[in-house]
Amino acid sequence: MDEKDEVRHNVIFVVRTITLQASKASKVAMAQHGLARVLSSQGFDPDNFVSKLCQSGEEELMTMKQKVQMLSDDTAQSLKKNVYKNYSQFIETAKEISILEGEMYQLSHMLTEQKSLMSNMMEMSLVSERAVVEEPVVKEEAEENPEEETRKNLAFLLEKVEGCSSVTEVPGRQLVHNGDLVELDSETFNQIQRVHCFLLNDSLMLASWLPNRRGPVRYRFQGLYELDSLAVVNVRDAGPHKNTFKILMFPDSKIYQADSAKSKRQWLDILEETKKNKAARDKQKKEAAMLLAEQQAAAALSPVEDKKVLTDEDESEALAAMETDFLNADWLQELPEDLDMCIAQRDFEGAVDLVERVNEFLVSCPKVPAVKEFKARIDHRVKQLTEGLMSELQVSPERSLRGGPRAARRAVAQLIRLGKSAQACDLFLKNRSAIIKYNIRQIKFEGATTLYIRCLCGVFFPNLMDTGREFLKAFQEHFGCMSAFVVWAKQELQTFVDTFKRQVFGGKSNMTTIAECIHTVRQSCMELHAIGLDLDCCFEEMLEENLEKYINETREQFVEGIKYRGAEDKWRPMNHLSNKDCNKFLEETSVAGLDLSDLVYDDCFISLTMNTSHFCKTCLSLARDLLSMYTPQLDVLITNTLVEIFAAQVVHMEQTLKLQEFAGERDFIMKNAQYILEVLMGKIEQVYKDKNVDFPPQLEKVNAEYRRLKSLVKTLPAS
Amino acid sequence: MFSCWTRRQKANMSKAKATQPQVIHKVIMVGSGGVGKSALTLQFMYDEFVEDYEPTKADSYRKKVVLDGEEVQIDILDTAGQEDYAAIRDNYFRSGEGFLCVFSITEQESFQATADFREQILRVKNDDNIPFLLVGNKADLEEKRQVTVDEAQQRAQQWSVPYVETSAKTRANVDKVFYDLMREIRSRKMEATRQSNGKPKKKKEKRRKCTLL
Ligand SMILES: Nc1nc2c(ncn2[C@@H]2O[C@H](COP(=O)(O)OP(=O)(O)OP(=O)(O)O)[C@@H](O)[C@H]2O)c(=O)[nH]1
Ligand SMILES: [Mg+2]
Repeated sequence: MDEKDEVRHNVIFVVRTITLQASKASKVAMAQHGLARVLSSQGFDPDNFVSKLCQSGEEELMTMKQKVQMLSDDTAQSLKKNVYKNYSQFIETAKEISILEGEMYQLSHMLTEQKSLMSNMMEMSLVSERAVVEEPVVKEEAEENPEEETRKNLAFLLEKVEGCSSVTEVPGRQLVHNGDLVELDSETFNQIQRVHCFLLNDSLMLASWLPNRRGPVRYRFQGLYELDSLAVVNVRDAGPHKNTFKILMFPDSKIYQADSAKSKRQWLDILEETKKNKAARDKQKKEAAMLLAEQQAAAALSPVEDKKVLTDEDESEALAAMETDFLNADWLQELPEDLDMCIAQRDFEGAVDLVERVNEFLVSCPKVPAVKEFKARIDHRVKQLTEGLMSELQVSPERSLRGGPRAARRAVAQLIRLGKSAQACDLFLKNRSAIIKYNIRQIKFEGATTLYIRCLCGVFFPNLMDTGREFLKAFQEHFGCMSAFVVWAKQELQTFVDTFKRQVFGGKSNMTTIAECIHTVRQSCMELHAIGLDLDCCFEEMLEENLEKYINETREQFVEGIKYRGAEDKWRPMNHLSNKDCNKFLEETSVAGLDLSDLVYDDCFISLTMNTSHFCKTCLSLARDLLSMYTPQLDVLITNTLVEIFAAQVVHMEQTLKLQEFAGERDFIMKNAQYILEVLMGKIEQVYKDKNVDFPPQLEKVNAEYRRLKSLVKTLPAS
Repeated sequence: MFSCWTRRQKANMSKAKATQPQVIHKVIMVGSGGVGKSALTLQFMYDEFVEDYEPTKADSYRKKVVLDGEEVQIDILDTAGQEDYAAIRDNYFRSGEGFLCVFSITEQESFQATADFREQILRVKNDDNIPFLLVGNKADLEEKRQVTVDEAQQRAQQWSVPYVETSAKTRANVDKVFYDLMREIRSRKMEATRQSNGKPKKKKEKRRKCTLL
């Protein structure tokens, strides 16, 4: 292979790569470049292009290679630029990915949950074996709480055995023991069928195993035998057939095979003991019945009632013949299984659809045993479904809250459909509390209190609002739940206010900051009115104590400051030394809302003391802050605060006026007094007006203090 | 989800194999506690004598035997002699085709009790001719005899049943009582089929016709 060929190959390769890149890169960037245009044109054929190149000689080829190389560098550069251009998109995508990651996490969590659900279900199917081991415990419990235990046991029967509702309807009947056995032919000992025996406290129920059955119903009711009419025989020798025992229930005699010697022994022992217990109970009952009979014989009973009871029973028997027809429909037969499926797959909507459908159907059915039995089976699943939905709403620490609201909304809707609105409401709100807490924790404290509070409000109130909207949507027709929401909102607000107080009053925030923070919250509270929630008063109430304390403290400090500075006051006009500095000062004070320009003389003098100008500045700012926090409840406090501060200042001025030492400054003092009592007070009045608050008469009186001081001066001896 | 294993179970569950039906004679051991019902049964079954006394509740045994050249099965139900179980005896007695009513010759009371057992059996089976043997056990303990042979024989005659003295310890007459009872049962069964050759057969024919139609 000669050199030319090699170069040719290289060029083809580079050109191909560049074409690829060029088509990706921004076409605008490439447009000025002729070569680029050729390369990025649609019908570009690299082979053709290169073979043409090759014809034009080696030198041309080399320059072309260089050009292509340059273009390649350019393209790489522009690609890089493109990356920056799309930087925000990259960021967004990365965010998206992190969200996805969170969701994946939740998904995997759900999967493990589902796995445990499955293993629970598996365990459930082994209950029979467990019951054998735990039998004595079950019995003790049964004695402690017979009602509860009975219900539990009987539900279990209905779950497993088809057609046993009549068995479960006897009050006081309990399950003592149960297990799988194999029925043998009593003559030949050949296996006949798999059965499951349920030993109840008064009888033995036999159920034959249903082959090819999915779902929990695995047996069909075979027979119920009263314990006192059956006899148990331990088969000690049945040739090769081990672990067998006989049950004689005239005229039948059946042989069962247990799977182990231990299990057989257990059956024999428990059967015997249960029979004994039953006999003892019967004896007691008989005695009681005899006693009752004697009493009844004395108070001759009307025979009419007895008859009535009988006809009722007849009727229900007639209905019983029809009952099975009701439940014969395919969809009904498969419904319990379908429900199980939906629950397992977390298809809650589907499950609730089924429940609603079947309940609607069952309403029209007569309340006959088979229907009751079927209903019990459905109810059992509804319970499972409810539990599943509730756990969806439960807040567990390991569960990510991402996508939480969506899942919660879903679960709530289904729970409401199942008539569990109270639970749904409770869990939903708890869930939301967790979300709010989580979101608040995400806020980083940046140092500036106002900023933090703004963020806090930005998280808390929209969340509250969201919850409210969500809640209104979900619980539209459940007015009872509305109060729950209001109570919840108030509780949340309390938590919020606690945080707020810690941040705002805990630090050394000044009043402007505090006023700003409070203002932010109030504004946010107002926004809640949009969803019909008015927490304004609640907020004020929660804040009241701290705020009042703070205002009082501020006032005390202020008054202390007046006294302190008053003692130092030399009653000299401010001298800013230069016109420039004076103007700078004027600018500062005008920002604070005071206009002192009329008081300037000799370019750099202002005919107020430093103390006065400081008082005016701080007092005006205080008034502004106080009034920006104004509520009718705070009205008196604000007024008193201002009144006291002014009084303190007046005291200071009055005292100095009376001092012989300052007799020469009386005019100047009065100038200051006039500014404070008339100009400043005027400004404060304007603040009141701006805030739409009535100017309190107590402050109006302060205005009169100037005249009082004036007349005071007249009475003073001249210097 | 659940179908997999249930199907497998089904495959394991072979249906009853058709075996040749064998005659089974159902014998019930009755008598007071401690007279040796279990001892007799175990001696018959396994040629062994058990010295320890362990009260029985209700045990059953099955054994293949050759009765006069015919292979049959004997099904022995060894019941409880103790009074605690008296109330539920009915349930057991119903399933018996023949009874060995055992007493101990060393215990007069056990002999007296046989009358009660007899009465109960007749009531439950509602049949005066039920195969029944009066068995005086522990014959090896001659020196402790409390029940005379005469006494026992008299009662047996009164009931029209055989009286046999046995010893579970020495195996004396053990096989005899079981085989004699089986023969009684067998003859009762044959008698029953002979008797039913008339009416029941007609019934059978009728049934066959029905199936043909
Ligand atoms: N010497 C002697 N002892 C016997 C004989 N038969 C039984 N015994 C003893 O008598 C005791 C009771 O015998 P069992 O066979 O258990 O009595 P049982 O009639 O089955 O008693 P229950 O099961 O309570 O009804 C045991 O200790 C036996 O060893 C016998 O023929 N001779
Ligand atoms: Mg015994």
